[in-house]
Amino acid sequence: MIEINVTKTLHGAEGVMPLHVKLNIQEGEFVALSGQSGSGKTTLLRILAGLEEAMGSIKVHKQVWLDAQYSLSVQKREIGFVFQDYALFENMTVEENLLFVTKDKPLAQHLLQITELDALKKRTPNSLSGGQKQRVSICRALMKRPKILLLDEPLSALDPAMRTKLQNELLSLHKEFGTTTIMVSHDPSEIYCLASRVIILQNGEVKNDGTPKEVLLKTQGSQKFSFEGELLDIKKVDVIYVAIVAIGQQLVEIVVSSQEAKNLKIGENVRLSTKAFAPAMTQI
Amino acid sequence: MSSIIATVHNIQTVQNLNIVSFTCNESLLKMMSLDLEEQIQKGTKVLLTCKPTAIAIAKNFQGQLSYANQLHVSITNINVGELLSVLKLQFGEFVLESVITTDSQKRMQLQCGEEVIALIKSSDLSIKEVL
Repeated sequence: MIEINVTKTLHGAEGVMPLHVKLNIQEGEFVALSGQSGSGKTTLLRILAGLEEAMGSIKVHKQVWLDAQYSLSVQKREIGFVFQDYALFENMTVEENLLFVTKDKPLAQHLLQITELDALKKRTPNSLSGGQKQRVSICRALMKRPKILLLDEPLSALDPAMRTKLQNELLSLHKEFGTTTIMVSHDPSEIYCLASRVIILQNGEVKNDGTPKEVLLKTQGSQKFSFEGELLDIKKVDVIYVAIVAIGQQLVEIVVSSQEAKNLKIGENVRLSTKAFAPAMTQI
Repeated sequence: MSSIIATVHNIQTVQNLNIVSFTCNESLLKMMSLDLEEQIQKGTKVLLTCKPTAIAIAKNFQGQLSYANQLHVSITNINVGELLSVLKLQFGEFVLESVITTDSQKRMQLQCGEEVIALIKSSDLSIKEVL
């Protein structure tokens, strides 16, 4: 069990904001941390890693990492940290990057094989693609066999195909190494595929905590098929109205009656919803 | 959007699939739903809703229909368009809207003041909010 109860004053773009997070995380859990930028997600990871000071306490499997009198040093915290921008040593080869953490050659070899980097182990990071670099930094984070793996938007700079591939690798590494993994992510599909629990931070506090389905499924009353969009236009056709709504990168049309149209204003944000029984689904 | 205030009468559940029945104006309504909010239980008052395009009309009907919701309503207004017609339907104190083709409206000779049956599939009925 990881018991976190930390407080820190953040100086963000919108002034001073208190970060206060109280959480218990079970050993082996895969937790996604989500929320708007500036809500304190990265700071929380850095506090766990010991890279930032904070008030309060952190206990990991009954061992005190932080309390009022004591703070375990960064080196002694059994943590692996993966950053969005890889943070590799550019002057070392892939293999040297891993062995810099611990001189455990068999483990380095095993990790490089799982992640299909074996053939690239004598290359330096600047000759690798984004996906390959991030694989190296994930492998490096696991070289210490960490109790906690912290991932700060590790896949957000990668293209969708590479993201899916690395998601699968992350999940199998998480299982093989039995780490407790905490990953900052904004991507609902990534959270749904990887995490067993999602925590939403807002203004430095836990706003929502539950399974991905409980937290991320947008519902409107009993309607499960629900999207937010912007009402772009509404046109009268015969005795009904057709509304044009922008959702993400797409436009959709919705038929509404005059009574429904009466309350709608162009430019407003609207929620489109229907029952889970209504939409048809086909392969692209 | 047509809305009706109704009271939950019964909930049948298989895994996360539910058939919820409601009472309203001495009529029984039924709704198909996936997971229900916890506060929805027997006796809960809810606002039910249905798209006007999902409400069909039957007149002088004899026979069997699979529609789980068959509401006795009276037509209070008809807006006849070239292709489509919008009917206002009085159901107790509630007003429902139905959008049907003008061809159907003419074929059935629907008129204001007439008593008809509003037909709604249970998969088209949903809870808008818990009251």
